Amino acid sequence: MTKVDVVRAEIIRNRLVAVSEEMAKTLVRTAYNPLLYEVQDFSITIMSAAGDMWAETPGVIVFSQAFPEAIRNGIKRWNDNFEPGDVMIVNDPFETGTHISDTNLYMPAFHNGKLIAFCGIAAHWADIGGKSPGGWCPDTTDMFQEGMCFRHQKIVAAGKKNEALWDFICDNVRVPVIVKGDLEAQIAACQQGVARIQALCEKYGPDVVQASMDHVIAETDKSMRRAVSRMPAGEYGASIRLDSDGVNPDGEFLVCLKVTVMEDSIRFSLNGSSPTARGPINLPAPCTKGILASSIKGLLLPYDPCNAGHTMCLDYELPANTLINPSRPAPTDSYGYIVSSLMELMFRCFANIVPEHCPAGGFQLTGGFVTRTQPEHGKPFVMTDPVHGGNGATHDGDGPTNQIIGNGDLPTNPIEVMETRHPVLVEQLIYAAEMSGPGRFRGGNGVRKDYRFLEDHCYVALVTENTTDVTSKGVSNGENGIPGSFMINPGRADETAYTKRVASLGPFPQGTVLRVTTGGGGGWGSPHDRDPNLVLYDVRNGYIDAETAQKVYRVSVIEKNGTWAIDHSQTERLRAA
Amino acid sequence: MEAKYRIAVDVGGTFMDLVLMDETTGAIKVEKIPSLADQLPSQFLKGLQSFNVHMDEIGRIFHGMTVGVNALLQERGARVGLITTKGFRDVLEIGRGGRQPVYDFVQKSPKPLVERFLRREVTERINFRGDVLTPLDLNELDQEVDYLLSQGVEAIAITFLHAYAHPAHEVAARDHIQARYPNIAISASHDIAAEWREYERTSTTVLNAFIQPVVKGYLEELQRKLTNANYTRPLAVMQSSGGVANVNTVANKPIRTLMSGPAGGVIGAKFLCAHLGYKNVICTDVGGTSYEVAIIEDGAILERSQTQIARRPILGSLIDVMSIGAGGGSIAWLDHRGGLQVGPQSAGATPGPVCFGTGGTEPTTTDAHLVLGRLDPTYFLGGRMTLDLAAAQKAIQDKIATPLGISLEKAAQGIVAIAETNMANAIRTKTVARGLDPREFVSLAYGGGGGLFACAVAEELEIPKVIVPVAPANFSAWGILTSDYVEDEVQTRVLPFDQEHIVETITTIDTLAERALDAVAGYGFARQDIELLRRVDLRFENQEYTLTIDLEPSWRDPSSILAGAREKFITAHQRLYGHGDPAANLEQVSLRCRAIGHVRAPDVAKISAPVKSTPNKHRMVYFDSANGAVETLIVERDTLAAGQKITGPAIIDEWTMTTVLPPGWVCVCDDYGNLILEPSGR
Repeated sequence: MTKVDVVRAEIIRNRLVAVSEEMAKTLVRTAYNPLLYEVQDFSITIMSAAGDMWAETPGVIVFSQAFPEAIRNGIKRWNDNFEPGDVMIVNDPFETGTHISDTNLYMPAFHNGKLIAFCGIAAHWADIGGKSPGGWCPDTTDMFQEGMCFRHQKIVAAGKKNEALWDFICDNVRVPVIVKGDLEAQIAACQQGVARIQALCEKYGPDVVQASMDHVIAETDKSMRRAVSRMPAGEYGASIRLDSDGVNPDGEFLVCLKVTVMEDSIRFSLNGSSPTARGPINLPAPCTKGILASSIKGLLLPYDPCNAGHTMCLDYELPANTLINPSRPAPTDSYGYIVSSLMELMFRCFANIVPEHCPAGGFQLTGGFVTRTQPEHGKPFVMTDPVHGGNGATHDGDGPTNQIIGNGDLPTNPIEVMETRHPVLVEQLIYAAEMSGPGRFRGGNGVRKDYRFLEDHCYVALVTENTTDVTSKGVSNGENGIPGSFMINPGRADETAYTKRVASLGPFPQGTVLRVTTGGGGGWGSPHDRDPNLVLYDVRNGYIDAETAQKVYRVSVIEKNGTWAIDHSQTERLRAA
Repeated sequence: MEAKYRIAVDVGGTFMDLVLMDETTGAIKVEKIPSLADQLPSQFLKGLQSFNVHMDEIGRIFHGMTVGVNALLQERGARVGLITTKGFRDVLEIGRGGRQPVYDFVQKSPKPLVERFLRREVTERINFRGDVLTPLDLNELDQEVDYLLSQGVEAIAITFLHAYAHPAHEVAARDHIQARYPNIAISASHDIAAEWREYERTSTTVLNAFIQPVVKGYLEELQRKLTNANYTRPLAVMQSSGGVANVNTVANKPIRTLMSGPAGGVIGAKFLCAHLGYKNVICTDVGGTSYEVAIIEDGAILERSQTQIARRPILGSLIDVMSIGAGGGSIAWLDHRGGLQVGPQSAGATPGPVCFGTGGTEPTTTDAHLVLGRLDPTYFLGGRMTLDLAAAQKAIQDKIATPLGISLEKAAQGIVAIAETNMANAIRTKTVARGLDPREFVSLAYGGGGGLFACAVAEELEIPKVIVPVAPANFSAWGILTSDYVEDEVQTRVLPFDQEHIVETITTIDTLAERALDAVAGYGFARQDIELLRRVDLRFENQEYTLTIDLEPSWRDPSSILAGAREKFITAHQRLYGHGDPAANLEQVSLRCRAIGHVRAPDVAKISAPVKSTPNKHRMVYFDSANGAVETLIVERDTLAAGQKITGPAIIDEWTMTTVLPPGWVCVCDDYGNLILEPSGR
């Protein structure tokens, strides 16, 4: 083996991370689909010829950890018969780990005829066929209802477009122009990545690149193991119950996690989790492993660009035919609820072990999607608008209002852009501070957003989960955040409230108002220990009222001539009680 | 008296750089004095007086300032109250969300600059077409403004939804408040940034309000002091866009000055390189803590339309300067894996690099250069400072070499190499990643540390030529001297870019053009002398991101604009991203106009005989390519004559910079005194 130059290894590692970032930029800037350029529902992964992760740029942190498994299947499928200029396509949920809408493309990088690496992009397509537009079906009962399935076909073979497959795709999706635009963007980004890797091999030689990354991965593995060994050994466990699988309202949907921290390794066991659900909330094994790996990576080494070395000390026990390890052809389209649930279970296990990197529980995905698909009623549109909610508080500060935690870099849709694009008028966008879990540090606020429909014949889908057994759990006597909810026509005679997921409501006429209120985050520490000055700040700014300050926080805040102040002696009395 | 001189005053965090230029010869004099934060105007005057010229002989003063950006970074601005549309007071705090890096599960958002109880709502609503849905309630406005003033607010920001499409409500609110309270500072969003995205526009407007009283106070005092000293000719301030504007404009829109520092160097680079005959330039400015990259392509500076400071977004045209934490003070460290990293933490001026002996304990790139022999411990800053070589060696040995199990020289070389690849990656982001080939560029290296890294970075990217200008550490101030007056106007108007809508597009552009022309004409330029640039942000229908396309002055009629802009857009999209359907529908988003009032271009002075004739020395200097230390020529820059050639390895020293000429490179001093560095045999 080549002796590794440690400086050069670092340079090569940096370069590969930069290449993946460049690929991400190309994808985001040229994609046609808001799920990519706005919601960042994608991930870029660069892998070795054997499928080991070298570098990634995640939009969503669940994809990259699962990609190597899909690549290894592809290597078997083609028996290593890849050619320069090939681009493969795979979206089988049991290979990629997520739902069928997340379509993985990957391209081999060759140097002097030798396979060196793969550049891969997992991206949520605007449509994949199937029974409901845009994926995320709430009520399928097998994967065939969810859309077209690809298993490593060459969508470009040796640089030549596979026109038959391309036509087939366009004939089977609802928005062919957008899907084609995204495909072009994905391929362009892969080609860019491959060209950069070839240039890197030209400069340093492929063996040096390989040896350097082997070294980086080995050192990362050692570092992960050192981080593990600093934690107290032992077993940590938590479980969470989901409301529904979207099909069967009465079943039990329990996810159980036991984490065994050993000397320098970790074992995740999910024994006790419920059997595979009939509805699409199941999470295939590659992604179950992936989200656990991503979580522990973020909890132990959050600032480190990810590679295969971050996951070598991990081991999994996933009972077969359960929610977290279903078998083909189980439905998986709403896989995301269990993804966030698993992350939240990880936070519950580790909040008091690595408090500097671990928040209290956060809100579960909440959103109202407004659509009109029949052209006879006006121009069709699909408005998916995930609204931010409260993340958990931390040991040293209040929780922020952001996107669900596994999907960190998700910007909201500006109102001015949304109103230009879709026939809605947003009537308010305001904090729902009452959703936040009280604590020494408060959970993040929820958000309340009202949409007025400006045209007729609109349908609504309501997306939510964990409204009974909440994800937004408080830590160390901090209180839970309140889960999100919905209302149609608030304040009117026909006002209707919804707390659970609904596949489709409508049609609604022009003038209908949909209100989405997202959940708040869990608090950290007892509210009785909150700094009275922070309570004063909360009252002055209307996040809580004086009564709540007194009752929940035991701080007396009074108004004098339009200015709020702490009544210190009264506060002392309250807190002494 | 006749105006014989032009002066630039560039105020930085530690120093104030002044450059005096003789209008007839282009000859310059430079000064550097401490910039004392609490007495900038008097220091400014002191600096002017140190040139010993009569105030009447100064024709114009151009000023690069950091008062605004410092107020923002230190969060020491005015108490701001925000007036906004009913239902939307939390837009400023909710922001756009998002965490980077995504694995950081505990990241917090920046605190809003306006606390919630000072964010007040009034009834009004306009939609994206600019139609009034709900009229503005002036009574409510009065109540809310009275409340804000009762709470001690010093500046008011107004942001109404869709005000970029129709500013009527903002204008009415502003005029109404001003009539009642003539002395309160008001920033209205349509006036500060007439672009869509309510959070970004609100943020920009609030930031403007936040720094406006501070900047205005500063400029008024400065103007007063200059008037008292009998200077009555123009004082203009450098903007982030790379042009100057007069004091009154900047006092109302100080948000335009936040990046005025880096802008000076880039427009100087554009001017100098055009003079020398180079159209493609990579500008690199190396300071103590950062490395800044900007690109000039085909004679035009690359710009962007949005930036952020302290994680707060700011809309508006500015020079696209990429800044990374790699400079002379950047600290080398080993991460949890034992991987060698450099920056972004910097030892800055205090405690400084270990070798300064001022308390620094962490090895920096300057320490590494010293250990490699590239800096002379007895002759740093032209002998003004002595460096502690042994301390630098010990720090690198203990903190880097020993833990990694490599030699001291290898570790020092590694520190420099990591810094250099970080720099090269920054350049790649702005060139290769945008479809530009660095091999078709020259690199201009300035700032105190530019010459130490320039050749190695050029080698990595195969940039064929490096230029080190005269007085490289004062180059940004010199650049400010070359500036023109610039006014930008922008408006978001989302429409299909097609035959049916082009007339409306042209009408909007013409309105913007009139406004920009008026503003520059107001600085005393004849309208026919003002240059006008028209631009449109285009995208494919269904895309989100746009490319800004320049409309050629010769395109006047609708069809030539449609066809010309389409062709440019498709070409740019294909170059940048590798694909682009020539026939697909296009959409316009924002329209932009820039009026430029040209100031007479300065001359670049030729050098006469060498200033000094110190004999050359030799020293052992470590080079990676030579695999060890080699005997190296040490030259003082002041001894060079025009046309003189030096063969690497060599070190070229001057007061404020050291230039490393590696083995295999040659350096020629050109007629103007610039160092032109190239690999030999090219």
